[in-house]
Amino acid sequence: MDIRLLRSSDIPNVQLANLTNLPENYFLKYYLYHALSWPQLSYVAVDVSSLEYNASSNPYTSKPPKIVGYVLAKIDEDNNQTGHITSLSVMRTHRRLGLAEKLMRQSTRAMREYYNARDVSLHVRCSNQAAIGLYTERLGFAREKVESKYYADGEDAFSMKLDLVSAFKDEEKAAEGEGEKTDGVDEGGEVGEAGKKEEKKTVKVGRQLGVQSLVENVVQKPSQQVAGA
Amino acid sequence: MGASLPPKEANLFKLIVKSYETKQYKKGLKAADAILKKFPDHGETLAMKGLTLNCMDRKSEAYELVRQGLKNDLKSHVCWHVYGLLYRSDREYREAIKCYRNALRIDPDNIEILRDLSLLQAQMRDLTGFVETRQQLLSLKPNHRMNWIGFAVAHHLNSNASKAVEILEAYEGTLEDDYPPDNERCEHGEMLLYKISLLEECGFLERAVEELHKKESKIVDKLAYKEQEVSLLLKLGRLAEGGKLYRELLPMNPDNYRYYEGLQKCVGLYSENAQFPPDEIDRLDALYKSLGQEYKWSSAVKRIPLDFLQGNRFMEAAENYIRPLLTKGVPSLFSDLSPLYDHPGKVGRYSGATYAQLGAFNKDNRPIPWKHYDRRGQYDIALSKIDEAIEHTPTVIDLYSIKSRILKHAGDLAAAAALADEARCMDLADRYINSDCVKRMLQADQVALAEKTAVLFTKDGDQHNNLHDMQCMWYELASGESYFRQGDLGRALKKFLAVEKHYADITEDQFDFHSYCLRKMTLRAYVEMLRFQDRLHSHAYFHKAAAGAIRCYVKLHDSPPKSTAEEDDDMSKLPPSQKKKMRQKLRKAEARAKKEAEEKHEESSAAGASKSGKRHVKPVDPDPHGDKLLQVEDPLLEATKYLKLLQKNSPNSLETQLLSFELNMRKQKILLAFQALKQLLRLDAEHPDSHRCLIKFFHKARSMAAPVTDTEKLIWSVLEAERPTISQLHEKSLIEGNKIFLEKHKDSLMHRAAVAEMLFVLEPDRKLEAIKLIEESTNNVMPKKGALGPVGEWKLKDCIAVHKLLGALLNDNEAQLRWKVRCAEYFPYSTYFEGSRSSAMPNSAYNKTNRNSENGSANHSGGETADSLASNGKLEAFVDLTI
Ligand SMILES: CC(C)(COP(=O)(O)OP(=O)(O)OC[C@H]1O[C@@H](n2cnc3c(N)ncnc32)[C@H](O)[C@@H]1OP(=O)(O)O)[C@@H](O)C(=O)NCCC(=O)NCCS
Repeated sequence: MDIRLLRSSDIPNVQLANLTNLPENYFLKYYLYHALSWPQLSYVAVDVSSLEYNASSNPYTSKPPKIVGYVLAKIDEDNNQTGHITSLSVMRTHRRLGLAEKLMRQSTRAMREYYNARDVSLHVRCSNQAAIGLYTERLGFAREKVESKYYADGEDAFSMKLDLVSAFKDEEKAAEGEGEKTDGVDEGGEVGEAGKKEEKKTVKVGRQLGVQSLVENVVQKPSQQVAGA
Repeated sequence: MGASLPPKEANLFKLIVKSYETKQYKKGLKAADAILKKFPDHGETLAMKGLTLNCMDRKSEAYELVRQGLKNDLKSHVCWHVYGLLYRSDREYREAIKCYRNALRIDPDNIEILRDLSLLQAQMRDLTGFVETRQQLLSLKPNHRMNWIGFAVAHHLNSNASKAVEILEAYEGTLEDDYPPDNERCEHGEMLLYKISLLEECGFLERAVEELHKKESKIVDKLAYKEQEVSLLLKLGRLAEGGKLYRELLPMNPDNYRYYEGLQKCVGLYSENAQFPPDEIDRLDALYKSLGQEYKWSSAVKRIPLDFLQGNRFMEAAENYIRPLLTKGVPSLFSDLSPLYDHPGKVGRYSGATYAQLGAFNKDNRPIPWKHYDRRGQYDIALSKIDEAIEHTPTVIDLYSIKSRILKHAGDLAAAAALADEARCMDLADRYINSDCVKRMLQADQVALAEKTAVLFTKDGDQHNNLHDMQCMWYELASGESYFRQGDLGRALKKFLAVEKHYADITEDQFDFHSYCLRKMTLRAYVEMLRFQDRLHSHAYFHKAAAGAIRCYVKLHDSPPKSTAEEDDDMSKLPPSQKKKMRQKLRKAEARAKKEAEEKHEESSAAGASKSGKRHVKPVDPDPHGDKLLQVEDPLLEATKYLKLLQKNSPNSLETQLLSFELNMRKQKILLAFQALKQLLRLDAEHPDSHRCLIKFFHKARSMAAPVTDTEKLIWSVLEAERPTISQLHEKSLIEGNKIFLEKHKDSLMHRAAVAEMLFVLEPDRKLEAIKLIEESTNNVMPKKGALGPVGEWKLKDCIAVHKLLGALLNDNEAQLRWKVRCAEYFPYSTYFEGSRSSAMPNSAYNKTNRNSENGSANHSGGETADSLASNGKLEAFVDLTI
């Protein structure tokens, strides 16, 4: 199974995997929002071997990549020091092969490396033993608190956190030793100066197109339906 | 704006605009009315009032007011802009562009309007227009970063990457040396990576590497940096450096197949088809062994060698790969290895004895070889392997899912659904097995049950809309196909069109990102998203939905539903007393249905209100069963809409061209049908359906009346001129052509069936001969290759199609019965043919095990199973239609 960055063209199949595996679902636009806002953070697991052989036997239809697992992740819109796992799942036919763990490691590494995030948070159903085992035992997440009735069907969630600074301490030290490490990167506001100026300019009509309304739009729609992974 | 108004009103006008922007519509409306009280004809105010009302869901008033306003003040760019925004909100982008252009004619330098126009141009892929508008924006405001970037991206999209590079470099020229400040490092780095990817796209590889190295400290995304660098090095043939870089990338992600592929290329061990000479296999083996030492937790490093190793070394590597997973008891292992079963180089070596050995690791009797037998059609063996495993460890849920899948392949859809349900009941918290079960139920045409099962995972009690709202396309497609098989065209269309709508929404989804990404600077991701959107409609689900809708419309055309007049006609045959009763009954039923619908609506809106606190009314679906969809005036015209999309997006699919042929023949569009035929011959002239179309087309052409009108004469002459270019018919009659096709493919059932059908079309009195042609086909035994028993070559779905052909077209019940008895032998699990082991038979294996099973918790399926058996008869109904 190939572990690689998510691309836009994967999204329909990622959405399919999500709908197949989990009750928490999102509009396709919400996936686009992730891919276009934090293109470094979301990863997919692809069953490549079947793809190759199919492609050669059928010249008419080049099959899309078979996505068997994904992690959808972002940086908290209100706190750019914190990453967040929006959704994670692996097709049942491909579970216990270590895919979820690998996907999570790639995503959290990118949060640390690119966004300089300090920690990453997520929600998990209190009854989800498999996922809880993965997060706490394999990846070192700590339980923060119980959020009661977090899920639409009334189930409680554990809210969990992983301290990225200590999780990647060793690697970062090693890298520093090689003199490769760049200085702490402060990502700053999400919109650049120039962009901001343009935003603030008095406009006549049609302001609704601003980035604000977009973020609201895409974030709001799914959140009416769901609440996180 | 608002210029012609006195100061007080001018301020009020500003308030309208501000209220609109801040979504305080009521306030805006009040202000507008205050102005209109004094100046009832003020165009811009009327327009803004309209725009405000548009946001309050008062569409028709909105259009009226905006048009009125425009009429009163044609010279106002505000009125035109507002009109454009109105169209834009209704996704009428072409109209909106026209309005913006009119606005710009009056106020050419209006940044706001130019920006809005540029977004529409990007959305509509009016790329030359996009470049122009972006250029104008840049020349008006060259101090805005976004305008530089936008201009560059526009050129890139318009296939001028080198111009885009120039623009980005000019932009860089405007920056100070110490740029960027800390809070813009990410954005600036993205811009640089985008520029370098453009250099690569232009083929300026050396320059790209140079630039990359020069800007290294300014590029934040180190992973992307390395990947870009290695890609360039590889293209430049700087393999040693490339290899070194891959070894830096691999530790970061030792499961990325591209890294391994790249590394192989760098050390000169790459082959497109994974075929290698022996010495290279040795070197590869050594390479992966050493990599395996380094990346202990990588699966790829262990899995990839299985694709190139042979013989004992393969066995050894396979053992190393599989053993730890087996010890852990990982059922998913089979998905990971299954491609090997298909591998041409391995099939011989890897079947039979080898399987037994592989199985030998397996102390717990895990069903490693089931898939092998399943693929080969040896369902009884596959099932017995699975049963063994189930007996040993009855708690492994996946075994039941696998068994269900085998039963599906073997042709017992009802039993497959029941087993999937059994699996589902073993872990009610896992949506995956729920989805799997729903899929099986839909395949068995148990739609109501499927829906009930799916609802368990969607929170609103009102699941139907929820699956739709959440764009659950696989479900909609599968139910559409089931409804189609059952002849419920209304519901089928409803589902297919729902999927089509999702695709329209996805196209729409990109709109907001045209401005967002320029600001966020996620340019590589943005351009990739646009490319993805450009190919969106070639996605398989869209193709299936559009093809499904076309079939519905074609069927609707071929046998239109009874109109009310005809129903009255039916009734008129009844004696008057009964007629009256019947009418009353109908009226009562209608009233009841209406009341129920209303009650349901109230219930659901009440539920909505209590949950979210505020009233959240879900509009009721006025046509839940798709009845209205059936009342289209011209089904073929509707179908043509979807055909056009297929032709544009998947012209190389045989199905697209078949549908085009069918549709155009029915529309009497002879030349278009002929074009489809030529495409079919180009794609696959030997396909039975291509042959059918060929014969049918010229048979029909022959039977056309002598040309009278000019158009007819033109068509005639085109066909005259073209026929000799078709080699199959060159100097041959259709009958001869049919015979030659038979000679060529006399061992293939489906080809013989096509020939038989065409024989009957050409010479109806040779029907018996045609039937004989089919019945004399032989189900040859496939080469053995160590398999345990003989397997016939015929496929279940083909045999079902032939059965239908015998019935529907050749209209011979006895031959059909003979065929059924014969196929029941070949496919003992098939419910369609009532095979001895299918759940259709009381003594079948399935019915026995099911009775024994403790987990017979597939409780609710009793009634439906019987139902679905009946409807299985409609399975593969698509086949009827293709010709
Ligand atoms: C949770 C889930 C993503 C795990 O995916 P996966 O690829 O099978 O997990 P991995 O193979 O990477 O597992 C890593 C470790 O997690 C733990 N784990 C995973 N599945 C487990 C299970 N069913 N029971 C107990 N522990 C489990 C184990 O410690 C495992 O290591 P091991 O296999 O060496 O014992 C997958 O089960 C899934 O998609 N479930 C449905 C969707 C879901 O619940 N998503 C999480 C929402 S928050």
